[in-house]
This record gives sequence, C-alpha cells and structure tokens, in this order.
Amino acid sequence: MPQTTIYVAPRLGGAHGSPPPAVDTDGLARLFGRSAALAGVSLRIEAGRTVALLGPNGAGKTTLLRILATAIRPSFGGLFIDGVDALRHPEIIRTRVAYLSHASGMYDDLTASENLRFAATMLGWSGAEVATVAERAIAEVGLAPVADDRVGTFSAGMRKRLALARLLVARPSLVLLDEPHAALDEDGMALVDRLLGLWHEFGITVVVASHQADRVVRAADATVRLHGGLVAEVSGSGVRAGALAPVIPSHATPLGTIR
Amino acid sequence: MSALRRNATIALAIARKDALAELRGRQAVGSTIFFAALVLLLFGFALGPDSRRLAEAAPGLLWLAIVFGGLLTVARLHQLEADDGALEQLALYPVDRRAAYAGKALAGAGAMLLLGGLLLPVVAILYGVPLGAAWLPLAVTVILGSVGFAAVGTAYAGLTVRMRAREVMLPLLMLPIVAPLLLAAVKATVAAVAGDPFGELGAWLQLLAGFDIVMLIAGAATYGFLLEE
Amino acid sequence: MKTRILGFAALLAVLAATVNGLFVVPADLNQGDAQRIMYVHVASAWLAYLSFGVTAMAGIGYLVRRDLRLDAIALAGAEVGVMFTAFAIWGGMMWGRPVWGVFWQWEDPRLTTTALLLALYAGYLLFRRLTDDPHRRAARAAVVGLIAAIDIPIVHFSVIWWRGLHQGPTIGDPGKILTPSAPPLFVLALMSMLAAFTLVWSYLMIRRYQLARTEWQIEEHGRLGRISAARRSFSTESVSEEAAP
Repeated sequence: MPQTTIYVAPRLGGAHGSPPPAVDTDGLARLFGRSAALAGVSLRIEAGRTVALLGPNGAGKTTLLRILATAIRPSFGGLFIDGVDALRHPEIIRTRVAYLSHASGMYDDLTASENLRFAATMLGWSGAEVATVAERAIAEVGLAPVADDRVGTFSAGMRKRLALARLLVARPSLVLLDEPHAALDEDGMALVDRLLGLWHEFGITVVVASHQADRVVRAADATVRLHGGLVAEVSGSGVRAGALAPVIPSHATPLGTIR
Repeated sequence: MSALRRNATIALAIARKDALAELRGRQAVGSTIFFAALVLLLFGFALGPDSRRLAEAAPGLLWLAIVFGGLLTVARLHQLEADDGALEQLALYPVDRRAAYAGKALAGAGAMLLLGGLLLPVVAILYGVPLGAAWLPLAVTVILGSVGFAAVGTAYAGLTVRMRAREVMLPLLMLPIVAPLLLAAVKATVAAVAGDPFGELGAWLQLLAGFDIVMLIAGAATYGFLLEE
Repeated sequence: MKTRILGFAALLAVLAATVNGLFVVPADLNQGDAQRIMYVHVASAWLAYLSFGVTAMAGIGYLVRRDLRLDAIALAGAEVGVMFTAFAIWGGMMWGRPVWGVFWQWEDPRLTTTALLLALYAGYLLFRRLTDDPHRRAARAAVVGLIAAIDIPIVHFSVIWWRGLHQGPTIGDPGKILTPSAPPLFVLALMSMLAAFTLVWSYLMIRRYQLARTEWQIEEHGRLGRISAARRSFSTESVSEEAAP
C-alpha cells in the first residue's frame, strides 16, 4: 500500500525549546439557553499526544471539541492552542486545526472530487496541487471508485470517509475528531485507527471523542472522561486537569458587580 | 501567492461552487424563476385588465417580482450550506472572510441577473411593454440592481440562516433596506423604456451604483462576524 | 440622582418650549396654527436620526471591543429612536391633514423617509428578540444597525429625487425656516424645542441604558448560577492528575 501522506503545520515560535502545550484551557464553560454544556473545564494537553475523550451523552464532548475548533466561543474561560490565544486570534488557530464534526459538511450536489478540491483550495492549496492532493486523499479513504459521484447519493459511511479525506488535505498541528467511528463498517473503523496511528507518528496532537471506547483508548496516550460538563477523570500521560476554578460569587463584570 | 490573488482565488472558488450546486440542485433555480413569473401573472389579475394601466405599472411590477424572487434566491444560497453542516466547515476554513463574502455575493448577483434577465421578456409579453430598443440601459439597470440586492442579501441571508423564524426574518430585514434600490431601479427602467425624455436615467443609475458600492463594503466588512456562531 | 435632576430639567424645558410654541410664537401666515406642530415634528425627527446614529456607532463599537455595554447602548438608541420616529410620523400626519387634506402624501420625502426609518428599526427590535445568546445577538444586531444606518442617506436622496419634477407640497422643510430671512421667533421656537427634546432624549437614553445594564446583570447572574448548579450536581469527587513523564 502506498504511503499515506500526512501534512503537518509548521511549529510556531521556532524549533528550539519544548513546544507550548497543544491545548491549554482555563475554566471553559458554555451555556446553551438554560443548560450548561460545559461548566468549567481546565485541561492542559502536551503537544503530540493522542487523547481519548470519553463520557456519556450530554457530557459536553462535542461542545468542548467545537470550542477547541473555534467553531463556537465559550461563555466563560480561556483557551490557548499551541500557545496562541484562541479567543483573540481564532484566524491563526484555524490554519492549524482540522475538525471532524458529526455532520459531514459536504455539498450534496457536488461530486466527491469537487467537494475535496474545493476544500483543498480553501485550505491553502493552489494550482495543479489541488487536484493531486484531493485525488490522493480520496484514494486513501477508499472512495476512488465513486470520486465522480454526487455526495447526495452517498451512504452515511461514505460521507464519513469523505470527511476523513478532508482531514488529510489539511495541514494541522491539532486534529479534533467527534465520533469518527460512527456509521463506519469494520474496514472504515480500521481506517480511522490507522489514521490515528499516523497522526501520532507525525507528532500531530489528536483529541478524539468516540463511543468505541476500547478502540480509542488503545490508540491514545491519555484519556479524559467528562461528566455533566466537567472533567471527571484524567488518566494516562501528557494531560493534566486543573482544579475547578471557583465561580466567583461577587462577579466583577464590565456592567458592574454582580453579588 | 499574494494575498489579493489568494482572496480572488477563494472568492472565485466559492462562487463556482455555489454556481455548480445551484445548476445541479433539483430544479430549485427554475422553481424560483417560475415563482417570480407567476407573481407577474398574478399582478396582471390584480391590476388588470386595462392594458394601459398595466403597461404603466410594468416597471414597478417587474422589480417587485425580482425582489420577491431575489429573497428566495439569496436565502437558498445560504441554505445549501446549512443542509449538511457545510456552513460550519466554511466558517472554519483559514480564508479571509471578505473573500468568502465576495464569492457568495458574486454567486448571488449571478443568480439575480439570470432571474432579472428571464423576467424581462415575460414583462414585455404580459404587459405589452416594448423593451427591445432600450436593451442596453435596461441591462445596466438589471446588473446594478442585481449586484445591490445580492450585496445586502448575502449579508442578511448569512445572518438569518441559523435563526429562528428565518423565513420571515429575511424579508422583514431586507425589504426596508432595498426600498431605495427598488425605487431607483423602477425609475431607471421607466426612463429607459421611454427613451429618457427628462435625462434622469443617469442620476438613477448613479444612485444604484452608490447603493451597490456602499452595501458591498458594508457586507464585506461584517460578513466575518456573521459566520462566527 | 443626577439623572433625576436631568429628568426634571427636561420636563420643565419641554413645558416651556411647548407653551412658547403654542401660545407665544405667532402663527404661520399660510398654514395657521397647524404649523406649530412643526416644532415638535422636526425636533422629533432630528432626535430619531441622532438615536439611530448612536445605535450604529455603538454596534460598531461592540464588534471592535466585544463589550456588551455597547450593545446595551445600541439597544437603548433603537428603542428611544423608534419612539421619536413614531412621534415624528404622527406629528407629520397631524400636520399634513389640515394642510394637504390627507394624512399621507407620498411626495413628501421626509414623511416617507421617516416611515422607512420606522420600518428599519422596528425590524431591528423584533429581530433582536429572536436570538438568545447575548454575544451572538449583539453581533448580529450590530450588523443590522450598521446597514440600516448607511441605508438612510441613500433613502434620503432617492425620495428627494423621486419627487423630481413635481415640486409637491412639503411640510417641515427646515430649509424654509432656517433661512436668514426667517423670522427669528420661529427659529428660536424650533431651537428651544430641539434643546428641550434633546434633554428628554438624554434622560431616556440614560434610563434605558441603566435598565438594559440591570437586565444584563440579572441574566449574567442567572448564567453563573446555572454553572454553579452544574458543578454542585456533579457527583464524582475524584479528579486524578498524573504528571507527564
């Protein structure tokens, strides 16, 4: 099998010294209407680690991943990725993070090739490389036979593979995966496991939430278990959880002090 | 690659993507144009049968139909993003938001141009208005009107696509904003068809162009804030 | 306390200007007593424009600084502005009826512009209600407020040119009143009413902003409370840490 090509983002701040933590959060909280999806998550993840994110439904895994991807802003708390303030400079983060969400995020009326070529252009490729990179990624995930079919005709598993292919077209230092194994058959899940291994080999930090707990824990350096929007347990190496930051009873806000 | 070239590439890629999706997408484009033509037909029933009155009202009715069809068009261009979560991915690409706006506005303007262009013969036939002689000023008017509507429509469609009650919110926000565009486009059309007897065509086209420029700048400046959730 | 003094001052000023406008200043030769509405109508319109300018500026400020205080100012501007706009339209119609014979005259550019102003900002207020998340609401509202504000000058020119060749009757054209040859009493009456209305506007803006700020504080308190509740119901005690090798 030809070697899979993985593109990695360049290190920030030069090659000397140890790299900043890939993820450094401080009291991340996020409310949706009346419910607190995250109620104070403080985590520090070393660069290059693969972290399994576990927890029951509603624990806040998806919300945490979306905040890390800068898709949504936290209601409270701070976030640094590769040492960059994600709340102030999300545009820098977006050049370094690849995110696989629940939905595949494809255009139904375009073919797989067209979708990937569009993604490649958006992700910074240009000229003849766009087609090359897109084609290669589609072949990697086993979708070459259907590259010119409309995504609207794809099954859920095929869409998931295509979304994985999009990750291969990015140049990340951090990969975030939300249920990558969902809707995949055994071959597909093996593909995901292989990719996890490759990312780890190339020093890319990975945070993966999956219901296939055994598979991801096996592949991971560390495990973070969420419950009720908070960190319940951390095990393994390379991840540190902070103590719960107090919710300040006398909360100073720009609009005056809440007591 | 210079930043400007990269932004242009991004904008064109997005516009091309939208155009492809539109043209292939289950007859949605055709349905919108058909709807607008139906609106024109219905106006005939509402205001007719005196053909002189209809001919006088024709420019206004044309542009009303374009506005109604336009609302559906700009909404559709953002809806195609929302369907499979593509909007979230689009917001996360490391691209200049102004380029993203330019791409979507370009696609919107193109779709509106198609709409306007196809409605002109419908108006000519239904309301007995001779449009042939004035085709150049009419074309300019339709172009300027399309660009202006797409400029503000892209911004507002991006704003409302994830909102509650977005089907009513988009028209509610758009209609007051495009009132001057409607006014100017109709006056320009009237002047063009009549051969510009008072020499006011130029002024109206300038107003349209001014609207276009102002709204394009505003849209480009603010689209980034609308993509973030 | 200072605000309360401002409120009383505003009230007194309005009363004084009203008395002046109704009884002291002579009536217009052409339009009679109906013309007196102009003092209130014009002043209202000007303050409406000021309000919406504030809304637009505060919105831009929010987008730059992400400070919800600025959003509160924008909201205050929109609500106070809608009030003055509605009042201006009402005044315009009341004035128009005796002068034109009808309540509405499409050829009056100020009336139509003001009506569109009302539509724009009533829409802004309705639109705000449909977003719950405060920062998202503030960002979206800022964009709407900004686009609405830059639309206004375009509307202004378009309706003036619309009138074009038929120079129809216009009410409240300040140009006619503020010419050097205008009787000074009229000018004074208008200016004093404007000053009085500005005091009222300031008072209302401050109060509305304070109200918005308090609402926000309550909301924020609730949000913090929900986070605390989530933590309290969190049953697992153990948070195991392990140093990296």
